[in-house]
Amino acid sequence: MAAHPVLVPEPQEALPDLDINSSQGLLQWISSVDHKQIGLMYLWMSMLFMFVGGVEILLIRVQLAVPNNTFLGPEVYNQLFTMHGTTMIFFVAMPAIFGFATYLVPLMIGANDMAFPQLNALSLWLTFFGGLLLYFSFLAGGAPDAGWFNYAPLNQYNYSFQPGIDYYCAGLLLAGIGTVSAACNFVVTILRYRVPGMGLKQMPVFVWMILINAFLIIASFPALNAALAMLLLDRQLHAHFFDTQAGGSAVLWQHLFWLFGHPEVYILILPSFGILSEVFAVFSRKPVFGYAFIVGSGITIGILAFGVWIHHMLAVGLGNVVNGFFSASSMLIGIPTGIKIFNWLATMHGGSLRFSTAMKFAVAFLVEFTIGGLSGIAFAIVPIDLQLTDTYFVVAHIHYVFIGGTLFGLLAGLFYWFPKMSGRLLNERLSNWFFWLFVIGFNATFLVQHVLGTLGMPRRVYTYPDLPGWGTLNMISSIGGFLMGAATLLLLYIIIKGIRSGHAAPADPWDAYTLEWSTPTSPPTLQNFDRVVPVRSARPFRDLKRPNDADWLKPGKKQGYHAREQAVD
Amino acid sequence: MSALLRLPWNADPALLLLLAGLAGPYFWLAGGRWQARGGAYFAGLALFALAELSPLHYLGTHELFSAHMVGHIVVLLLSGPLLVLGLPPHLAPTPARLLGGFSGWLRGRTWLAWAAGVGIMWLLHVPAVFDAALASAHAGFSPLPALHAGAMLAAGALFSWPLFGPVPGYHLHPLTGVIYLVTACVGCSLLGLLITFAPADTYQHYARAAWCGTPSLAPDYAANPWHLSLADDQQVAGLLMWVPGCFIYLSGCLFLLARYFGAPDVVSASAQTGHLTEPVR
Repeated sequence: MAAHPVLVPEPQEALPDLDINSSQGLLQWISSVDHKQIGLMYLWMSMLFMFVGGVEILLIRVQLAVPNNTFLGPEVYNQLFTMHGTTMIFFVAMPAIFGFATYLVPLMIGANDMAFPQLNALSLWLTFFGGLLLYFSFLAGGAPDAGWFNYAPLNQYNYSFQPGIDYYCAGLLLAGIGTVSAACNFVVTILRYRVPGMGLKQMPVFVWMILINAFLIIASFPALNAALAMLLLDRQLHAHFFDTQAGGSAVLWQHLFWLFGHPEVYILILPSFGILSEVFAVFSRKPVFGYAFIVGSGITIGILAFGVWIHHMLAVGLGNVVNGFFSASSMLIGIPTGIKIFNWLATMHGGSLRFSTAMKFAVAFLVEFTIGGLSGIAFAIVPIDLQLTDTYFVVAHIHYVFIGGTLFGLLAGLFYWFPKMSGRLLNERLSNWFFWLFVIGFNATFLVQHVLGTLGMPRRVYTYPDLPGWGTLNMISSIGGFLMGAATLLLLYIIIKGIRSGHAAPADPWDAYTLEWSTPTSPPTLQNFDRVVPVRSARPFRDLKRPNDADWLKPGKKQGYHAREQAVD
Repeated sequence: MSALLRLPWNADPALLLLLAGLAGPYFWLAGGRWQARGGAYFAGLALFALAELSPLHYLGTHELFSAHMVGHIVVLLLSGPLLVLGLPPHLAPTPARLLGGFSGWLRGRTWLAWAAGVGIMWLLHVPAVFDAALASAHAGFSPLPALHAGAMLAAGALFSWPLFGPVPGYHLHPLTGVIYLVTACVGCSLLGLLITFAPADTYQHYARAAWCGTPSLAPDYAANPWHLSLADDQQVAGLLMWVPGCFIYLSGCLFLLARYFGAPDVVSASAQTGHLTEPVR
């Protein structure tokens, strides 16, 4: 929307052998500033770390499969669960979100690239090398071992004298800087580079969620980065920020961490909400129900994110007064989230549904994420929290939110956009196998953990006594874990097979609505657009394909807010 | 509860004058007739009266910091904005010119309105200022309470002027308004957080009230109807500002979002013609 468009020279056609389909070896990729290539590299990076984090957790599941197991010692066990959590959140979920966002946001808003292409590349490589640095700790004498939220005083030198936590600080700082710079890039891109005609109200919901997300990141990551810098000072220069014996405060770490950490939960889920809004709409053949409510509740979630973090600390002992307030405020989160769930249900209602793999993951999301949401609401009740905190009930809850929520959304996105990104169609039969294997494995792993938690099994303890039922439930959980592992290998096979020998994808295989599908080829050429279709509603590409049935022509139709608009006109 | 009902009302003449001075001019602004949204204006005044004249005021002045905080929140975040929201849509000529001029002047100084809304909370809760402001509570007659309340009310009105002021043309864009409110919410939350986790005797006034001017001898609970301890009372006060206070800002955000999504859209010229357009880059 800039009055004076900033023109960056962009090759009109791909340079010889620099087509996205051809290979110039790694050099062409690592030197790229093209948002599509950077997006794909983010996604591959996420995949790589997902396998590493997956292997870590499978080792843990082997250890926990039977009582009193000695497969792993406590030190190694601590390192593995710490690395698993840290990896999955910072180097799997975040890069996957940024991968989709980097690839799709410019395409969806009709721009040719991000606002700052070089910064975009910098963000990717900072994140990637942050991850490598974190993993270098294994070679440097021991990985971090104080849990992914790394509480003081366990993170202090006296309790963890291997360099692992120093690498945790340095690696996450690097990745954190990359994340903040990427967020700034998104804000500028979305606010300044939309194609003329696309007001904020015509933006795809996914772009809205990335915009909200970017603001959340800019507001919350500095708290983490500051805390990490302080911890590094504590450990390397004997500062006393979190050292209680020298007058520091251990609770300060928790405050700083969760001031970041709670918004982070929403940073991880909002993009999935955006993806699902696209998937539900396209595969129900309807506009998303209640556009304004979906976007508005997203903004509300973003704002509430900063008013509830104490609920991670209800068991710390801040007092009944504090706990009471945050118990009440945390329950409010259920409202905007519930609004979205009903919006998606209403989007499906009366639509002509197509259960492609993407849609299956979207529907599975509704079920699994609601389970995770309800156990979250349960945790907002202080006595329940006091009873269940640090048990496997928490483990079940976070995995229902992060896998059943975030990951299912991302997988829906992967199956939805894969044809556009790769130019190939995925094998639908194998994808179906993957879906069921993954969903069954996921529920087998984590549903029983609710029971284990209620029975009192503590998390983060390397083994457990042979109490009635514990062995059986843990064995079910481990088998489920290996099912998920097998499913993930199958996913890799499907993707590689798809890229190598899948059927060529047409430009618009799903008969979709948004601008990324209006590029004439799959994958899009190096320069995304020469001309962009006119944008008069939130479904511009559909308007183009069905000019007589365009959204903006039919004020009476149920189509969210723009129905009213046209009526006013 | 019965203990609360036995507490005295506060018939401060200065406050009554202020109330009358706000109720009367409504009809001057409105050109002598009742107009739409007048209910909001008088609801704002009624809330102000309740906060400042009811037993809540006594409780807040003499016994409970948390009650005092409720008063602050009601006056700053509810009464002030309601007064602005309730201004007559069709102003009489003279007030229209005056308020229009003021709106235009403030349009270029939005930071001032923001700073007034956030700054007054911070200023009044600096412990020394806080104790000084309440020191006069024991005096027979003092203009200070009315000044205190009036300043809060004025700050609340000024704060909400860029969002809800009488001239729609001078309103902030609703999404900018959301950022305006969220940043203010963060400002107030930080203060609430500080108060929540500050040492329990940070505000000497209530410690004195609890133990007749000898804070060091104060027991752990104050002389209030609920025997809330000083520490809990201060935490409640801080948390009221932090959590429910923030939700009032959030409600403002929701109001603005509803206004934004409800407003008719301006479709750009290129989209009107239906031609293909060039990407910005």
